[in-house]
Amino acid sequence: MTADVAAIAGGFDGALRARGVSAGTRRAQTFADVLRALPPASAEETYWRARAAMLPSIDDVDGFNAAFLEFFGALGDADALRRLVRSVEAPPRRPPRELPKRETLPPPPSDEPANERLAERAPTQWVVASNEHRLTDKAFEEFDEAERAAMLRLIARVRVAGELRRSRRRRAHAHGDRFDFRGTLRGAARTAGELVRRRATRRREKLRPVVFLLDVSGSMGPFARALVQYAWVTAVARPRVRAFAFATQLTDLTPLLKRASDERLMSALAESVRDYGGGTRIGAALRAFNDRFGQRGAARGGTVVILSDGWERDDPALVGTEMLRLRRLARRIVWVNPHKRHAAYEPLARGMAAALPYLDAFLSGHSLRTLEAVADAIEGRSA
Amino acid sequence: MPRPVDVDELQERLLGAGYVADAGLATALACAVSLERAVLLEGDAGVGKTDAARALANVFGARLLRLQCYEGLDLAAAAYDWNYGKQLLAIRAAEAAHERTPDLYADEFLIRRPLLAALGAERERGIVLLIDEIDRADDEFEAFLLEFLADFAISIPERGTVAAEHRPIVVLTSNRTRDLHDALKRRCFYHWIGHPSVEREIEIIRLHLPDVAPELARDVARAAAALRERELRKAPGIAESLDWAQTLGILGAERLDASNFEPSLGSVLKYPEDIELARASAAAIISAAHPSTSSG
Repeated sequence: MTADVAAIAGGFDGALRARGVSAGTRRAQTFADVLRALPPASAEETYWRARAAMLPSIDDVDGFNAAFLEFFGALGDADALRRLVRSVEAPPRRPPRELPKRETLPPPPSDEPANERLAERAPTQWVVASNEHRLTDKAFEEFDEAERAAMLRLIARVRVAGELRRSRRRRAHAHGDRFDFRGTLRGAARTAGELVRRRATRRREKLRPVVFLLDVSGSMGPFARALVQYAWVTAVARPRVRAFAFATQLTDLTPLLKRASDERLMSALAESVRDYGGGTRIGAALRAFNDRFGQRGAARGGTVVILSDGWERDDPALVGTEMLRLRRLARRIVWVNPHKRHAAYEPLARGMAAALPYLDAFLSGHSLRTLEAVADAIEGRSA
Repeated sequence: MPRPVDVDELQERLLGAGYVADAGLATALACAVSLERAVLLEGDAGVGKTDAARALANVFGARLLRLQCYEGLDLAAAAYDWNYGKQLLAIRAAEAAHERTPDLYADEFLIRRPLLAALGAERERGIVLLIDEIDRADDEFEAFLLEFLADFAISIPERGTVAAEHRPIVVLTSNRTRDLHDALKRRCFYHWIGHPSVEREIEIIRLHLPDVAPELARDVARAAAALRERELRKAPGIAESLDWAQTLGILGAERLDASNFEPSLGSVLKYPEDIELARASAAAIISAAHPSTSSG
């Protein structure tokens, strides 16, 4: 069995990967070591050994269990095992995405076709590119497919928001506020033990977290797509960004930010809206967020951006309670409601009315230009 | 050189040390000890992550070194520091005696913090290094830990690299206030400690509080399980049910009933909203605690 141990571990890693659990070769190596050092005597022992070595996180446990049954259930059958081992292939790697550039809106409408890279682009995109000005003020829901592709590119030019707070970490600073014993003494060693130069440290600054909570139900879809794109751009440019989608349930999109392609991000958004059946459970979603993430630190001291039209299917009182809880956790709450762009808008939706007293900023965020105001609001600057 | 530890035997010895571990946890710990690799324990607050490390130290007669993580934790607090006052005095003393300045980075000036101290394990007396609530530390510290866990060595610029002759048993715990980097998780065995089954919880309460009446232990375990089924801000962990059982014991209760349920709630639930909710469904929870009386 010893000789096969590596093959078993590697094959199981493949089975896990097929189930969407990325354990990786390092864990497979560990698993092989475990099988060698502590050979299991029963299926249950194999299970716990595999789990200790190969399970990346409790969130992956369903996929892990399925893969375990699939893989070790087939172990008795040599043909099946061979088939499984052969099926281990690396998934196709996606090309790395371009880092978003930070420019300011509106982008210059370029009329020079001399640029080689531009000349390679498809003609439809050419038209769109020359219309960038027009897109800046257009509402996201009025975009057609080609314009949407251009919008994704343009969103990368919205200013990335970040607000600093003082960290508990310190760094050397000439006029720091705390005497640095270690540094001073080290310096003294160079001057024959005479304390010549006083060294000091000062507290570092750290970016505050930003959390996006996106209502993906009904008419909010196009705006959620735009905002999740903005969250993606922000997450690439700076740390501590999280995003969640909700309709009747809460879905954590954070693992997909940075890494995932557009399509995967969008299909995750679509997935979270699947159970949607008329209306949104904002209160329940906020509660799920507060319980599972906010209270544990995701929102503490940061800015929470909520996108929703405020249409609550259930009791709006829950929206109020949970907004109050969020208020106590977060430093700032920004609510984005695209309906607000209409001059006659009044916050009549019951969920919206319940949330209103707890907001620091209430914005429309329906177009690229108004997204700039959202970036300002995340930092606490009034739009 | 691995020293294989039998899983069942470890489970039994942990029980002897006052810690009830299920098969999964015992396996993860046995793997970590056998292969000399760190183990990461995750779980809600109060399910006994820290106690697992204590019990492990107990079982192996090892010294327990605990490093509590917090944001801003730096090397001076986690690994080593120099005794500056002593260094200064040594310089002055040497000056006064017209001697050469002593080696300022000798052993006597080195202050060993938990990580460095953990490298000093001996053959006869091992060390269990508990890195508690790693999720509270920041990324920089996590990156440093990667290096530490890979080589079990710390390089001190003034001294060179200090490596472990005998590797410590390393236990990391996390409450999942944030996701850890996969690079760190890959280097560890992993186990999620869930809330215990009723039987296991009764066993734990009886083990820790031998003075509490067996019926009361059973009531508390069942009631705690009933509470966990409700949508609470903070579901009670084992630590809370132990507190509850102890509180009821001090109140002189022999069973959990309507007279002592409300007054003792503060020991098990920590949010006013949760207490309100439990009060509203007091009858249901108490009857869940006495299945025999409610069914018969």
